[in-house]
Amino acid sequence: MKLAVVDWLFIGWYLVLSIAIGLYYSKRAGKSISEYFLSGRSLPWWLLGTSMVATSFSSDTPLAVTGIVVKDGVAGNWLWWNFMLGGALTVLFFAHLWRRAEVVTEVEFIAIRYSGRPARFLRGFKALYLGIPVSCITFGWVTLAMVRIIQTVFGTSGVAALAICLGLTIFYTTLSGLWGVVATDMLLFGVAMAGSIILSVVSVEKAGGIGALVDAVKAAGAATGKDYLSVIPPLGRALPLAFFIAVFVQWWAVYYPGAEPGGGGWSAQRMLAAKDPRHAVKGTLWFTVANYVIRPWPWILTALAAIVVFPGLTGAAPGEMEAAYPRMIGFLPKGLAGIIIASLFAAFMSTIESIVNLSGSFLLNDFYRPFIKKDASEKHYVAVSRVLVLIISLLGAGFSYVLGSVKMGWQLVMELSAGIGLVLLLRWYWWRVNAWSEIAALGASAVTAITLKLVPDNPVVRGLGRTLERAGFAVDAWGVKILLIVAVTTVAWMAATFLTKPDDEAKLLAFYRKVRPGGAWGPIAKLNGRSYKLQAAPFAGWALAVVMIFFLLFGLGRIIFRDWGPGAAYLAAGGLAAFGLSRIIAKMDWEGQ
Amino acid sequence: MALGFWGVGLPLGLFGILFCETTAQRLTVLALASVFLVVGALIGKAKR
Repeated sequence: MKLAVVDWLFIGWYLVLSIAIGLYYSKRAGKSISEYFLSGRSLPWWLLGTSMVATSFSSDTPLAVTGIVVKDGVAGNWLWWNFMLGGALTVLFFAHLWRRAEVVTEVEFIAIRYSGRPARFLRGFKALYLGIPVSCITFGWVTLAMVRIIQTVFGTSGVAALAICLGLTIFYTTLSGLWGVVATDMLLFGVAMAGSIILSVVSVEKAGGIGALVDAVKAAGAATGKDYLSVIPPLGRALPLAFFIAVFVQWWAVYYPGAEPGGGGWSAQRMLAAKDPRHAVKGTLWFTVANYVIRPWPWILTALAAIVVFPGLTGAAPGEMEAAYPRMIGFLPKGLAGIIIASLFAAFMSTIESIVNLSGSFLLNDFYRPFIKKDASEKHYVAVSRVLVLIISLLGAGFSYVLGSVKMGWQLVMELSAGIGLVLLLRWYWWRVNAWSEIAALGASAVTAITLKLVPDNPVVRGLGRTLERAGFAVDAWGVKILLIVAVTTVAWMAATFLTKPDDEAKLLAFYRKVRPGGAWGPIAKLNGRSYKLQAAPFAGWALAVVMIFFLLFGLGRIIFRDWGPGAAYLAAGGLAAFGLSRIIAKMDWEGQ
Repeated sequence: MALGFWGVGLPLGLFGILFCETTAQRLTVLALASVFLVVGALIGKAKR
């Protein structure tokens, strides 16, 4: 595909605007570590929530959703929709606690919650693990995906443009810190969404309009035996184990970057940067709604149109299914193509800038400052942060060249921490969890995942598979593996918790007074002389948030497919749930006084 | 940030008028352009 001059003009103009916004904040970011990594803890809810959703909207996300829809239909999205249950949990139970904790990073939480040498080890280990391999692999994966998109659209000639875009992103991110990241994220998310909406409209037109699209997709489904439009997977006589795990296990057990149980990574960084706990809650709610309700439908429409426009796509290789998304760009008229390319650059840039800023925060705040140079000036730490961000960017760019092994490494990172979610949730609400609990969970999850990778077919896996089949499940290898990792990890960390001493009372008391979490803090609450209660309102709020998001998501889908009656009913139900939730959020005491 | 939104919204609207081939495309692009302009105005107002 060859772009016209106007397309390049729009792309160039968009890049100039993004960089100008980023650089505008560089002076402000240079004042202190709090400004550089947390925007001086002054972000309003709309800015931090939009920044979260911009970060999780990567250039490869539309391609992944396209691949899912072409392979398994709309219902295949349960693979990631299930994380909404965990997202709603973070909104109601954890966002305000993160803000009250007033740490600089997710990893620093360890220093205020646990005591002794195990806590020091855990903090240093997590800082290096999340700051270097996990960040570099994520950076490499996102960059590679973007290279593939560019090559699909332009051939090799577009890679130079991508390299320029990457260099400029790193340049302004290094200088402007989180201020530049969140400010540009606002614009990047807008451009990314605009691009995906325009592409979906052109794609539907190419498929003959929405009515013809629905008929053609139904016909394609009749030929392959699949219902591509259904939002519920085919349940048949046996319940698919993968669907059961998605709905009942994955969202609280699996540590997935961007959907960490209880919040973590870039989402925790933005909650910590909020003006106050209420803004953290509202921002995280906005992220959850934007992420699960607003983002998916343009991609789903483009994917369904691709099934119609490219006959034989449903039987193609996974890579070819995903490549259908950038191939649709070829149908765009002059002028609009530049907007779509800019939108893909926007999705790419918003993820990259957040990854490098976050990894810099781990390496500076949780490794360099506590273990290498303790009492330096803020100016010194900001300078070191900039150097670290630059180093991580160069390492990540280098990783992009290690093609096949990056994918393997990414899958391994996911599997290594597949069972640690429960300990991350309970550490806020149960005084007895200590550093050994987390170390045991990380160790058990990693050891089980590696064992199952080396010996995937063993008596335990076969036995569990047979038991699940007898219980009425349609069993798949991935589901059995996840269940085993979660079970072993849970037993291991619970055993470690009870076999080791509780943390120092002084440390626990200081945490309890500062964060005011409620829950199972009996002995510490007694020491405090005052007990903070876990109220009923967040439980009701969580249920309402889940109902709201599902009804709005599915209602929007019904309206798009011109199923007006049910669509309006779903949206009304979602609206009612939203009203109830807004009352709860307005009335709750998020400061916990 | 507000200037950034206007900076994208204005050319987007112009491109919508000049290059779109169908009414649906034109309406979509113009609607998106107006969203950019409104968000830019809201950000500008919030900053003041």
